[in-house]
Amino acid sequence: MIENFSLILLSGVAVAAASGLVGTFLILRKMTLLSDALSHVALPGIALGVIFNFQPIVGGIAFLFFGILLIWQIENKTKLAIESITGVLFVTTLAIGALIMPETELLEAFFGHIKNTTVFQIVLQTIIALLVIVIALKYIKPLVLTSIAPDLSAAEKISHTKMQFLLLALIAFTISIGISFVGVLLISALLIVPAATARNLSSNFKTFVVLSMILAVVSLCGGLTVSYFWNIDPGVATVLLSAFLFTLSLFKKQ
Amino acid sequence: MTDEPLLKVNDLTVVLDGEKILDDISFEIKKEEVLAVIGPNGSGKTVLLKTLIGLIKPTKGIIEWAPNTEIGYLPQRFQVDRYLPMTVKEFLRLKFDPKKSISAVFREVGLKNELLDESIAHLSSGQLQKVLFAWALINKPGILLFDEPTENIDVVGQESIYKLLHHLQDTLNISLIIVSHDLHVVYRYANRVLCLNKKMLCYGEPHTALTDKILAELYGDHAFFHHHHYDK
Repeated sequence: MIENFSLILLSGVAVAAASGLVGTFLILRKMTLLSDALSHVALPGIALGVIFNFQPIVGGIAFLFFGILLIWQIENKTKLAIESITGVLFVTTLAIGALIMPETELLEAFFGHIKNTTVFQIVLQTIIALLVIVIALKYIKPLVLTSIAPDLSAAEKISHTKMQFLLLALIAFTISIGISFVGVLLISALLIVPAATARNLSSNFKTFVVLSMILAVVSLCGGLTVSYFWNIDPGVATVLLSAFLFTLSLFKKQ
Repeated sequence: MTDEPLLKVNDLTVVLDGEKILDDISFEIKKEEVLAVIGPNGSGKTVLLKTLIGLIKPTKGIIEWAPNTEIGYLPQRFQVDRYLPMTVKEFLRLKFDPKKSISAVFREVGLKNELLDESIAHLSSGQLQKVLFAWALINKPGILLFDEPTENIDVVGQESIYKLLHHLQDTLNISLIIVSHDLHVVYRYANRVLCLNKKMLCYGEPHTALTDKILAELYGDHAFFHHHHYDK
């Protein structure tokens, strides 16, 4: 149990910024539903953490990593579309998670449980968030090029398989650190909605990326603040706030 | 022009998924030469280009580039998402290891600098094609491999692209391999032509290599219309 709200908020800034950044690649690749579906793969891992009394985030990361390895392998070895593999994996893991997890924890995993996390977890997810940001920025050129022009990037000798794996890994880590804030069901509020909003408002790439990160931070910190003062779930508040910002962006676009 | 070939291809065969796409292709290209590759849809033209730049592994045969040859490749399909928030300048900055400034290549392809801050999604297909040329030229290539788009380019745009290619060849002394569907282009710009229909049907100077028999074999009767229509 953690009482220090400013610590939560600080960690929220890092996690949201990482989500906003990774979200831009999902928008570029039109893979927006992938992250949503992939997040459920973390459930059995979180459940194992709850049952066997270790950090649920570690279980979540382990399962997400296993999930992306599986998706990546199947995508490379067969001709199945990545979306359909994820679809099968997601319902299966959701069912397993729901089967083995106690009901209270299940709800927390679905909608977020930031007030019930430990200081260790807060620190861990902040470090992971910063790592995600650093790595994503380091590889931003090849990640963007493979996303928008696969032929050109192949001609530049950029490995599509490696970039695909890097992106999946970044998504997995981002999901795993976002779950404690907004839960498995609402993770796209951090990954997809800010990036979609930013795209509506941007005419160049730099603005798109920076704005997406800022919007994710505003949504999450706003959501956390609302939930701190009123009895509203932080995940729910974050989703509604980010959806509201997205709606406003639609007017600007026209 | 030296006699040392820039590229030598010997007995190149490519099999993909059990199907023979290229069968025993041999040709060479010297510095500053223009080679046109023609053939019907599905004849292996795009696969040939991709094999030359190393995207596809040859099943058999040898591809030999002269040492330190920098290759510029313009793929056939390059469509930009209408909602991609990226300026032309930002796009060109994605290129690795640039050897020329963006404004220098922009001048070479005849685009105005104001276009650099335009959104790449708002360009006309002709402008986008020129941006792609600029992309290829940033690395100072000794040869350009141009896979002509089959769609989305209007006739006027196409004409200006070939004028540009000709201009680039004159000013930068680069070689070209053009995959084309237009015989007019072949007669007007190419020193040599390679006719492809999985096998190599002809290879040589356009006026001698492209006999009526070869054209009929490549395109059926339809080709004669093109031939006479353009070659006035």
